[in-house]
Amino acid sequence: MRGSWKTKLTSSLFVLPYFLCFAVFLLYPLVSGIVLSFQDYDMLGSREFIGLENYKNIFTPDTYNHDQFVRGLTGTFKFVVYSVPFLVIVGLALALLVNALSTRGRGLYRTIFFMPYAISATVMATIWMRVFDTDTGFLNILLDRLGFAGPHIGWLNDTPWVWIALVFCTIWWTVGFNMIIFINGLNEVPEELYEAARLDGANGWQRLIHITLPSIRNISTVVLIMTVIASFNVFAQPFLMTRGGPGYETTVLLMNIFAVAYGQHQGGAASAMAILLGLIMLVISTVIYRLLSGRRG
Amino acid sequence: MKRLKWLHFALAACLVLALTACGSGKSDSQSQTQDNNQTGSSNSSKPSDTSAPKGKTELVFWSPFSGPDGPFMKKIVDAYNEQSDSYQVKFQIQPNGDYYKLLDNAFGTKKNMPDLMIMHLDAIPTYAGKDLLQPMDDLAAKAGIKKEDYVEAAVNYATIDGKWWGIPLDIHPLIMYYNKDLFAEAGIEHPPTNREEFLEAAKKLTDPSKGQWGYAVPTLWPQQFIFPSLIYQQGADLVDAEGNPNLNSPEAVDALAFLKSLIFEHKVSPENVAQDGEVKLFLQGKNAIQFNGPWMKDQWDKAGINYGVAPVPVFFDQPGVFGGSHTFVVPKAQTDAAKLEGIGDFLKYVAGHSLDWAESGQAVASKQVLASPEFQQLTQQQTEVAKEFDYVHFAPPIPDWGSIVGELWTQVNLTLLGKAEPQQALDEAQKKALQAAEAKKQ
Repeated sequence: MRGSWKTKLTSSLFVLPYFLCFAVFLLYPLVSGIVLSFQDYDMLGSREFIGLENYKNIFTPDTYNHDQFVRGLTGTFKFVVYSVPFLVIVGLALALLVNALSTRGRGLYRTIFFMPYAISATVMATIWMRVFDTDTGFLNILLDRLGFAGPHIGWLNDTPWVWIALVFCTIWWTVGFNMIIFINGLNEVPEELYEAARLDGANGWQRLIHITLPSIRNISTVVLIMTVIASFNVFAQPFLMTRGGPGYETTVLLMNIFAVAYGQHQGGAASAMAILLGLIMLVISTVIYRLLSGRRG
Repeated sequence: MKRLKWLHFALAACLVLALTACGSGKSDSQSQTQDNNQTGSSNSSKPSDTSAPKGKTELVFWSPFSGPDGPFMKKIVDAYNEQSDSYQVKFQIQPNGDYYKLLDNAFGTKKNMPDLMIMHLDAIPTYAGKDLLQPMDDLAAKAGIKKEDYVEAAVNYATIDGKWWGIPLDIHPLIMYYNKDLFAEAGIEHPPTNREEFLEAAKKLTDPSKGQWGYAVPTLWPQQFIFPSLIYQQGADLVDAEGNPNLNSPEAVDALAFLKSLIFEHKVSPENVAQDGEVKLFLQGKNAIQFNGPWMKDQWDKAGINYGVAPVPVFFDQPGVFGGSHTFVVPKAQTDAAKLEGIGDFLKYVAGHSLDWAESGQAVASKQVLASPEFQQLTQQQTEVAKEFDYVHFAPPIPDWGSIVGELWTQVNLTLLGKAEPQQALDEAQKKALQAAEAKKQ
């Protein structure tokens, strides 16, 4: 018993670095963001408590803040709905493919597919703007060569193409991360299960449906929730590549939060929008988690 | 319990991601980011000298020159430091796209404030209106800097309520670039100067079968410079006499209808031009004419295009172009007499020695340099730009004007993509502009 306070101290000290980082980079910004959302703050020094005014404005139709929020949220929702299924399914498909390779090939392809994840947003945008440009883009020139007559497709400024382009480059950019997590999940599925199934005459498809997918259920839930959160935070792709266009079709909420904060100098209103976005993400993540982990209980 | 943990994780993750994500990335497209295409460059915060030698007062000077223009300003600063016995200017380059975000953070937290900084002329009403800048009158008088030493347009704009808020460095208006080789092929001898010549030339230069266009019309940036220019050419403005947004005037509708007609009626431009699409075409020699800012020079030079520069043609009744301007401002918080004197000394020096800045392709605002034989010899672009100084217009002097016209660029985009008609589009832009102005007042 004598050593117990020492043990406690030691373990506390081990937690301390994490706690400090948590406090500085998570807790403090979170709390000050919430406080800010109840203030009228011009980002330049003057601030004043105005209670729920910022939230009230966001929910008052035909106002600037309402428009920015609703339009931005609509764009963000569209992006989430269009991108998440592909990011999860393609991530899983790549993981299955890579895992089916020999050990040497596995390492190589894992690296290749993961590499784009390490590229910065501006580089990613520059590359894909060259591919998707209407008149000089690689894709439209390729279509010309293949004999597709007719006017060039506006991959970055015509619907539905603009969403296809944004989702495609997002998959290219970020799917490697999901793939890595899926690979780890797949590696934990006991080999005996597959052997037993093979003896019973199950084919590849049946093994996938009845063994692999149920076994990686937990990891799939994690991947799905992380992908949903990441997609809600979409900013760089539309901001750099489409500038929110055509019109405001691909204008996402983070772009508008930025415009309200630094364009309008309304830090409080922007903060309120960020908090609302956070709450929406929280609710959706919780619902997904409940739905997918329900049967396990 | 496990569920509770998940809840914590999800809460923390999404809120923090949301908050931090809006702090990262580049600034919004309305903020006159002129090195718009230099997205990759980020040689931020490079002090040219680590600390001032003994006995010299240090002056921290912020600029957004993270593009190819940075070294030109550094040259001026270095030369100044070399010859000054009393002052040492510490030149710091901030990333262009994040410049106003960083400035706002410095103003907001009152920490790491520079002593002197570059500010775009049209940002002065916002910051002077918030009482964050220092009038330059005293400082200028002590240093012997006079208003008449600079181009009137920039001085008049920076004079609000009888006080002079910013000393101009340069003016960068919209200018015309044209591909000399394509002009020669089409047998056009002079760059167009009016609407008729422009349309005639553009039609001659257009050959869709070769993928070659007379004038590819941008649908996004730099319409922020082009569309207002066409309104000024009709003697109109984007605001009425009281300073309220006036975006759906008959002149604005005519301006937008003209731009639209270039694509859908005269067909001298391809449809659905993407961001920077017209620049890519120009770089490939497939777009003969390009309206853009003087800062594009570096890209054309690197690509080795045989290009010419000329004032923007008069499409309507009178010459007129939209422009921006870099000015020097001092934060109000700076009250140190020695530093203020040093700033005056430095700015006086810059006024006489900004030729180095002109070498970057800019036309400077100092009349002394404009009139110098050295400047007159910079014939490639700078003198053409300076020709427009008599009729250059800046953004309406309304605080946070950029957010008031946010919807305008959305609607211009929709119209030029063929998804909206000029009148309805501008009515919508006007409606949203009034809402944005209203939101500011609350």
